[in-house]
Amino acid sequence: MNQVYLYDGSFVSLCHLIYYLLQHHITPFSIKDCNYSCNLLEEEIYLSVPEDSLLFSKIIQGIGRFAFQVMYRVFLSNEEQKELLLYYFLRNGVKYRSKIVYQRNLNCVCKCLKINQYVAHELHKMKGFLRFRELENQVLYAEMEPTNHILFDLSLHFQKRLKQEFWIIKDVKRKLFSIYDKKRFYILQENEFVFPILESESEQKMRELWKTFYQTIAIQERTNERCRKNFMPKKYWKYITEVQEL
Amino acid sequence: MNLQEKLKILADSAKYDASCSSSGSGRNNTNGIGNASISGICHSFSSDGRCISLLKILLTNCCIFDCKYCLNRKSNVIPRAIFLPEEICEITINFYRRNYIEGLFLSSGIIKSPDYTMEQMIQTVSLLRHKYHFNGYIHAKAIPGASEKLLKNLGNLVDRMSANVELPTESGLQLLAPNKNHHAVQDIMKYVKINRSKNYVPAGQSTQMIIGATKENDLDIMKKSKQMYQNYHLKRVFYSAYVPINQDSMLPRLKEPPLKRENRLYQADWLLRYYHFEVEDLLDSNNPNFSLFLDPKSDYALRHLNEFPKEINRCSYYDLLKIPGIGVKSAKRILSSRKYFTIHFEDLKRLGVVLKRAKYFILCDGKYFVDQNLFQKHFIEANLVLEEQPKMIQNHEQLRLF
Repeated sequence: MNQVYLYDGSFVSLCHLIYYLLQHHITPFSIKDCNYSCNLLEEEIYLSVPEDSLLFSKIIQGIGRFAFQVMYRVFLSNEEQKELLLYYFLRNGVKYRSKIVYQRNLNCVCKCLKINQYVAHELHKMKGFLRFRELENQVLYAEMEPTNHILFDLSLHFQKRLKQEFWIIKDVKRKLFSIYDKKRFYILQENEFVFPILESESEQKMRELWKTFYQTIAIQERTNERCRKNFMPKKYWKYITEVQEL
Repeated sequence: MNLQEKLKILADSAKYDASCSSSGSGRNNTNGIGNASISGICHSFSSDGRCISLLKILLTNCCIFDCKYCLNRKSNVIPRAIFLPEEICEITINFYRRNYIEGLFLSSGIIKSPDYTMEQMIQTVSLLRHKYHFNGYIHAKAIPGASEKLLKNLGNLVDRMSANVELPTESGLQLLAPNKNHHAVQDIMKYVKINRSKNYVPAGQSTQMIIGATKENDLDIMKKSKQMYQNYHLKRVFYSAYVPINQDSMLPRLKEPPLKRENRLYQADWLLRYYHFEVEDLLDSNNPNFSLFLDPKSDYALRHLNEFPKEINRCSYYDLLKIPGIGVKSAKRILSSRKYFTIHFEDLKRLGVVLKRAKYFILCDGKYFVDQNLFQKHFIEANLVLEEQPKMIQNHEQLRLF
């Protein structure tokens, strides 16, 4: 039977599981979160791994801060076999220590670094592409549908930037909200939180102003549709005010 | 005239300024609204593929100057408008809150005198910084001819302040912009360079040149850029392909703006700043213009073929940077990786090297990618041009569509 190890979906428990597997020299067929349903040839295994509060610092000591950040970013990504990838990444990390990030000739390292970059890029893009709408009670509300799970890091950015505003960011696909109350932000599930979306009076006017600006600033003689789509992929257009209707 | 019409007129007048970068400043949010991101953030891309990160507007498009290439010149009959400082603040803050923009780019036509115009700009920016507590990015254009005191005041408020040289040579400027003084622009750049600090123009200065409006060749342009990078520590020189908007006997008649040439100049500009190239490596008096078929780096490599092929596992960082298809990042990756393993061709792709260009110029562990007898100029040149061809055809068709 192919052995599929399950974890509860959090980064902490994944690290614990991988660490346990490495300690006991078990090579898993796959690692999946607990929502996974196995097929005929697979056998589910749910290990209760003893908790180790020093685990993260142990890993950081072993492979270095940057490599650990890479692991976290890979975890945030949408990659299908990310857990298994992380297992092999850490397994090589035991051997190469902090030099692991230079071992690009290893497939798992190369892939992890690529995913790391992809997630970081998407986070950076979203800092620009997110569009807030002003609701009736001065609250700013934005929706997005990023490929990777970047809600937390994005909230960190807007916490600094829009310090004196109330804002809400919704990850439509993952059904998560990030809510900021001028002090800190909270991440909530959709069913825990319901509110009406009523736009403020000036919202429509500002949107029109912005669209006017957007259309005016383009130089007709230089039109380059391909270039625009390269920088601003169509998958984001749904929530970007000025190109929604194009 | 309502706000929408004003915005339309004054954004339309500002759009030929190429600069839209918002990087280089790390201004913090001190209990107000906004901060500046050190890497800069692009918020949108217009249909010409240029990034929009700043609200790029003019304070006014009225102007007492009559520069031949400019849309806002005195002799053009176009609708004119002027923003009140409060109006600019309102738009900026509202756009910023909705995350449409990264900050403000404020330029202006010259009304009454340079000093008066500067004062108006300072008033606007000051209102934004002090009344609205806006800590986002602000890029202001300094008006040539304004007094040093005003330069000082404006620089204290903004992240980037710049002045455009507009044309690569003094004679060109005299021909097309008789009201403008070459030295006034240089004085501004000198002043900013000397006084730049954490609180004064933290993101540095940039400038812009129009390409193709006068007869200068690429060599003149690159020499001018190099000189400005050295003398004034500019962050960027922007090249703006001349778009024929005015009819004038002094101006060339172009069907479309020289976009490919602009592209080549940017490529060469990067080579100067990050790849340790010299102008003399790229161009000389015998061929003073860049080839439109090959990028400057491939062109350089083909002309200096005796230095190639280079061994990836042994050559220095500076030699790596000279290879087409290898950039700063991949060169650094190669350096850090080859300590731990010998690099082969299949590893290069993982290191981020563009093999379709690099493969002709390198050896991996003593091996060439095909028979080494094929390492000849005509073979490599033909292949490189062929690689480029489909892209160019595609772009060309796209231009014709619209």
